[in-house]
Amino acid sequence: MSDVKFSRWQGAPKLVDLDKLRWFGAFYVAEMRIRTMAKWWVTIVLNGFGNPVIYLLAIGIGVGTLVDANGGAEALGGFSYLQFLAPALLASAAMQSAMDETAFPTLRGFVWDKGFFALNATRLTGRQIAEGVLMGAYVRVILSIFFYELVLLAFNAIPLNMALPLFFSSFFAGLAWGSLILALSSNVVDDDGFISLIFRFVVMPMFLFSGTFYPLEQMPIYLQWIGWISPLWHATSLGRIMSLELSVEPWVWIMHLGFLALLAIIGRAIAFPTFERRLSK
Amino acid sequence: MTNLVATTAVEIAERRRGKLGAEQYAGRTRFVVERNVLALKTSNLLQVVSGFFEPLFFLLAFGFGVGQLIGQVTDASGNPVDYRTWIVPALLATSAMNGALMDATWNVYFKMHFARLYNGMLATSMGPLDVALGEIAWSLIRGAGYATAFMIVVTPLGLVPSIWGILAIPAAVLIAFGFAAVGMAATTYTHSIQQLQWISFFTLPMFMFSGTFYPITAYPAVLQTIIQALPLWQGASLIRGLTFGQIDGALLGHVLYFAIMIAGGLWLTSKRLTKLFMS
Repeated sequence: MSDVKFSRWQGAPKLVDLDKLRWFGAFYVAEMRIRTMAKWWVTIVLNGFGNPVIYLLAIGIGVGTLVDANGGAEALGGFSYLQFLAPALLASAAMQSAMDETAFPTLRGFVWDKGFFALNATRLTGRQIAEGVLMGAYVRVILSIFFYELVLLAFNAIPLNMALPLFFSSFFAGLAWGSLILALSSNVVDDDGFISLIFRFVVMPMFLFSGTFYPLEQMPIYLQWIGWISPLWHATSLGRIMSLELSVEPWVWIMHLGFLALLAIIGRAIAFPTFERRLSK
Repeated sequence: MTNLVATTAVEIAERRRGKLGAEQYAGRTRFVVERNVLALKTSNLLQVVSGFFEPLFFLLAFGFGVGQLIGQVTDASGNPVDYRTWIVPALLATSAMNGALMDATWNVYFKMHFARLYNGMLATSMGPLDVALGEIAWSLIRGAGYATAFMIVVTPLGLVPSIWGILAIPAAVLIAFGFAAVGMAATTYTHSIQQLQWISFFTLPMFMFSGTFYPITAYPAVLQTIIQALPLWQGASLIRGLTFGQIDGALLGHVLYFAIMIAGGLWLTSKRLTKLFMS
């Protein structure tokens, strides 16, 4: 093969180097995902700025004024509601983007237009395709954290020196959630409203009951477990420890980070074999 | 068999002939509803009941969670109101809006372009208004169910201070009707599924700013006027008036607002369906 120089043909695209494909296959898949996303860049940018502005104005400032005026700051450890809320909103935005860019492409690839089977007909392996989808999602996660932080800084909801630490805590949330959703959606055979069900019965409760809008300890104890198993709560707690400069024992750090890492590993451990298995059918 | 079908179709057409809007309406709305009831068998039940949980989750999180941080708010007439009681009507109105829009946009789009359901329906004696009303009626039947279930949960919690609150259920149906009619009309203008994603650009800000989580007196006067012109504020205020027992002329204004939405939406929908499928 290598002595045939297709690439010299007039107007021919560059020939794919098979060795490169073996090592960097996932990057090609990620490139494809990013090119697909680029078609919706207007929506992505508008969402990226619109959502944080709406939430910060309505909840951060609107509800925040009521909370601060009614002595809520005491329950929040002396911080304003906006400061308390910011890390949670950031982590949840990262997770939402991670989910958008893993659930939809995976359902599309396996169920809707079965594009993954076409990719797999080349030298790309199932694992590389899965890896590539995840990488594409991470790019989107990074973008949405970036937009969100710009808005948070504009609202003075986080101090500038916290932008980078919060970036990482939210990114970990996206990492963990993205691979979990990849694992779940790669197992969907018949799309029976899968995404809307996950959204309504997993994402919404998680968003509302993970200590996002009020301290988790305020929920009745029989509802607090939702927070304990929720990546959002762990990422939010990490974010709050950093941005509110809370002093905590080292094991708290290890627990939060470890939990997120564990989810990321479990998600991959389920998703990769599933991709291989379904594509080899 | 063919004869029978043809005779029946002619009979239906003759019965309608000469009556007002005979081109648009054949009085056969119930068959569209019947189709949807039959289709329920093959749909995901979890999906169907999920409409009930949405307002409940928000009530738990904001009413009971954030509510503990807030305690009471002051309503338009200066009375202190328990925070949970404040958000209940708005959550009911929002869930009526979301449910109606989900059916009238995503589902209708799917039936129009993927299932090609209306091509078939409109090839029969049915008119476009039958189809529009049938789709909306089905959505409203379910919406009434969700609203009733929600009221059954919140009333024993003491979150509905007035007996007038019972009217919140028909009010929620009215609100859903308005959103469904306008939503379906808008859907007939879309030609890609991505355009439907723009809906949340309107609904999310409306949800957040329509006095859902705090009285709109928090805003400057200009902003208040804009919000008051939006349908969700109209809906939330209608239901709030009922659950709080503040019965006055303003409620009639809200009802009129939705009547106009319904009439305008239905008119536009049936005009567009005629254009798309019958010409």
